[in-house]
Amino acid sequence: MAHLYPSIAQTAVIVTALKVLLFPAYKSTDFEVHRNWLAITHSLPVKIWYYEETSEWTLDYPPFFAYFEWLLSQAATYVDPAMLKVENLKYDSWQTICFQRATVTVADLALAYALYKYVQTSPASSQKASHAVAISILLSPALLIIDHIHFQYNGFLYGILVVSLVCLRKKSTMLIGGLLFATLLCLKHIYLYLAPAYFVYLLRAHCLSQESILRIRVGNSVKLGSGILAIFGTAFGPFWYWGQIDQVLSRLFPFSRGLCHSYWAPNVWAMYSFTDRVLLYVAPKMRLPVDQNALNRVTRGLVGDSSFAVLPNIPPKMTFALTVLFQMLCLVKLFLQPTWEQFVGALTLCGYASFLFGWHVHEKAILLVIIPFSLLALKDRRFLGAFRPLAVAGHVSLFPLLFTAAEFPVKTVYTIFWLVLFLLVFDHLAPVSSQARVFVLDRFSLLYITISIPLIIYCSLIHELVFGETYEFIPLMFTSSYSAVGVLGSWIGFSVVYFTS
Amino acid sequence: MTVLGTPHKPRKKRREASQPATSGNEIALSDSKAAAQSPAFPLVAFLWPARKHTSQWVTLPLVLMIVGLFRWCMGLWGYSGFQTPPMHGDYEAQRHWMEITRHLPISQWYFYDLDYWGLDYPPLTAYHSWLVGKIGSLINPSWFALDSSRGIEQPLLKVYMRATVIVSEYITYIPATIILSRRLARLRGVSKWESSIALVAILMQPATILIDHGHFQYNTVMLGLVLASLSCMLSDHPIWACTFFVAALCYKQMALYFAPAIFAYLLGVCLLPTLHVGRFVGIALITLLSFALIFAPLELGALYDTHNGISPPLSTSNRQVNPLFALILPYIDERSMLYTLLLQLSQTVHRIFPFARGLFEDKVANMWCAIHTIHKLHTYPIPLLQRVSLFATMMSILPACMIISLFPRKDLLLWALASSAWGFFLCSFQVHEKSNLLPLLPMTILFAGDGGLGVEMRAWIGLANMLGAWTLFPLLTRDELRVPYYVLSLLWAYLMGLPPTNLDLYIGKQAIKSGMRLSTQSLHLTIYTAMAVWHLLEAFVETPKGKPDLWLVINVLIGFAGFGICYLWCTWQLILRSGVMDQWLAFRAQMDAKVKGKRDEKEQFLPPGKGTRATPPREAKSGKGQKKS
Repeated sequence: MAHLYPSIAQTAVIVTALKVLLFPAYKSTDFEVHRNWLAITHSLPVKIWYYEETSEWTLDYPPFFAYFEWLLSQAATYVDPAMLKVENLKYDSWQTICFQRATVTVADLALAYALYKYVQTSPASSQKASHAVAISILLSPALLIIDHIHFQYNGFLYGILVVSLVCLRKKSTMLIGGLLFATLLCLKHIYLYLAPAYFVYLLRAHCLSQESILRIRVGNSVKLGSGILAIFGTAFGPFWYWGQIDQVLSRLFPFSRGLCHSYWAPNVWAMYSFTDRVLLYVAPKMRLPVDQNALNRVTRGLVGDSSFAVLPNIPPKMTFALTVLFQMLCLVKLFLQPTWEQFVGALTLCGYASFLFGWHVHEKAILLVIIPFSLLALKDRRFLGAFRPLAVAGHVSLFPLLFTAAEFPVKTVYTIFWLVLFLLVFDHLAPVSSQARVFVLDRFSLLYITISIPLIIYCSLIHELVFGETYEFIPLMFTSSYSAVGVLGSWIGFSVVYFTS
Repeated sequence: MTVLGTPHKPRKKRREASQPATSGNEIALSDSKAAAQSPAFPLVAFLWPARKHTSQWVTLPLVLMIVGLFRWCMGLWGYSGFQTPPMHGDYEAQRHWMEITRHLPISQWYFYDLDYWGLDYPPLTAYHSWLVGKIGSLINPSWFALDSSRGIEQPLLKVYMRATVIVSEYITYIPATIILSRRLARLRGVSKWESSIALVAILMQPATILIDHGHFQYNTVMLGLVLASLSCMLSDHPIWACTFFVAALCYKQMALYFAPAIFAYLLGVCLLPTLHVGRFVGIALITLLSFALIFAPLELGALYDTHNGISPPLSTSNRQVNPLFALILPYIDERSMLYTLLLQLSQTVHRIFPFARGLFEDKVANMWCAIHTIHKLHTYPIPLLQRVSLFATMMSILPACMIISLFPRKDLLLWALASSAWGFFLCSFQVHEKSNLLPLLPMTILFAGDGGLGVEMRAWIGLANMLGAWTLFPLLTRDELRVPYYVLSLLWAYLMGLPPTNLDLYIGKQAIKSGMRLSTQSLHLTIYTAMAVWHLLEAFVETPKGKPDLWLVINVLIGFAGFGICYLWCTWQLILRSGVMDQWLAFRAQMDAKVKGKRDEKEQFLPPGKGTRATPPREAKSGKGQKKS
């Protein structure tokens, strides 16, 4: 095997240095959320973890993540015991910051390892491309913005996802891959969005015979089933035993929240909201009924029920139905052709469907699409064509997460660096497709990328100069609508490629 | 001859255009078993994908974005004097200058409340401060409000100040570095790819980033102007070189460290091989004109202010006339224009060169501080110390200046600058620890020349830079910049394949092939070990009772020894590369032959020609220097 440079380890060193330099950067309330979890898991008995509500940031991740926080808190006692007190709300001593930031940075090594394994298990012919993809994920601006500035622990979770995907490549390790994904679900339930693809793939490729779908491979099925049961048992068993399952689930799935997150994730509902805003001005002329109560809500972007002034409201059931519908389409194809690449494609489409149509989607969930899609982006030029607008839209849509002046250059320069570097490298590496490309999609992606430049300039500079503090929802609305167009466009593009190849 | 011949043999020969950029190069190691090549150190690996056909228009913007990111992230950390009233630190000094230049009439700049960070940098800094203050006041006038803004600490102001450092650097230092490294590459036959690697190595140099973007200063503007001047010299534009160098001097007087060598070079260019009177006069005139132009706004502004009835604040506040002006005061009329002009000029010069201060201020790794630890120097009168230090400085820069004026060759220029700047740093008085950025500059630029990334040069330049950052550690600790210090210096060491991250330069195949001497290798490793042990001591061991400064003193002593060795190495390399030794040896051989012929003529030994006069004093040092070559 020819060595590829820079190696993943070398890149990890550089990016770790950058992450450490980012320690004093802006941190969102998620920092306090995680500190509070450290405190809860450290100082309270397991029985009341999911009942504790001194802080408004209650524990709303599955039990394995709570156990993970408990592990971290063991080390935290040596750094600054004051961060482990539940009543120390908003506690952020320099030691606490260093400790929490350092844990994210160290946990990220799991992702580096996962990507290393991914490159190693790639077939020799596509090794170079896999290597480029791996480096692009390792350097992902989305992960840098979300994990190392905003503050979350996505890096190592995606590391587990990638390891699980790597395991699913080979028959011999398929069981481990499935169990790893079950573990991942017990760490962060957002991965439920990807679960349907896993279910179908494991069912077809692992539990059913290759020759006939009617013949069940009992050994495999029992092993997988009992393994998954054991994992979920370890995670949720204690709470089930104490009769707390309802409480835990109500924490994990807060359906009381609104359709759109405080800042609209770039999905179909963002476009729906946008249309509603526009119709608001047109409605009086067209004599459409306007719901007066709804007028003041969406503009403020408060967390809560979003209601629409002109267009009909969207009930959760509808979003659920749409998500399932679009997931089913790709799952059928996966069931018929259970190859690894089809599986990753279906995974991406499941991510897309839930991101685009889901209820109360966070903008951060775009990682669920970007990372699986990255693994396929270099399959051929048609895939790359669909990937480009996603790469731009997905990252630009994260910009509103950081609004402080000091972090503005970091997020923009780093993202532009990443886009320039990897769009060029990918363009260089992607092989020519055997099938004809769709002309419209290609032109769309070029046009789309070009628009991003004036848009970013407007949203970050011109708007404030012209309007000052007023109408601050406009740049957010533009960013999210623009990004929504990109995500939707790339979804259509990818679906075309997926279903025609 | 063989001993002397090897070290300056160009290791990186010009390659044919058809060859891939890596053949016959030390930065790409060939494995004898496989046909594949591998990068010699991690930085090469990062630019590995760009080695074949990648356009500079792609590599360069990416490099600039990344080095900019590291600078900006460095800026997220603390700065000097953060939350330390009443005087704060360099950050407040720079901000205060923006405040006074923004609000006061120009004639008052160098007079206003000198006890609170009175302006003591040359006019170009003042103009720069004025501009920055003016723009900043548009954003938020309270940042630079006269007097009331003293000691102001606001996150947004910090962002603005950090941004001005970066913007200033991207206007001066960075383009200058790019142009100079490209020019060196063209002159010395270095490929574009290697040049890009050298560029990253130069731009990621830890000491500069730590001081400018961490501690807070605008050194890179001055350094950038020096580099611009150098690149004009390399492209045979001595006139422009003068202009840029005068600008550098007028931005920060510390550029004087380079002045003797640059003067010697320009003199040499005018005198050798044939006398160019026109060029000489041109250079002299342009130098004067540049000074005049730069001081003109200050002087004319003063005149204008006097005309409007704004007198320099001598009459109002403390009636001290600066000693320089006191000398000329009796001879001029107080109402004449000359009075205003000379008062302004003398005050500026007086502020810029604080002759009255001591030999050294803080602990700095130079000769005086090192001697002071063994033998207390403050018992001697200051004038004597000043004279001794002046003499020592002259002696230390003499070899470099002699050689560069006798052999005004472009390939020697950087070496001469490095040697003379090290001389200044080690021997002159009133040196700050931050001043080591100056000698480090030409030394680091050597990366861009031929063989600059080869094992030996990389080892030496790397050592100097690691040592340079290390001697800044006590200063950075005061600014709470330990973490970025470790991150940036270790990152650079990692990129360049230096200890403590990598021992390949000293142990293993690469080291054996390089032909570096065992003595050099052990010397380097000793210094690295000393630095590492010192860090452990400083971090985990309390200083003994009654000696709170012990670690600091040890830092100074090791730093002085290391810098001294760097000085000797640069000087020795300059001598070797100039060919003086060859000429002298050839002359000796000739003489020996003659002596053999006529034994009785032995008494008539004549000193060798002009060109070799520089050698005898260096010969004494060559014994020491040889083992390092």
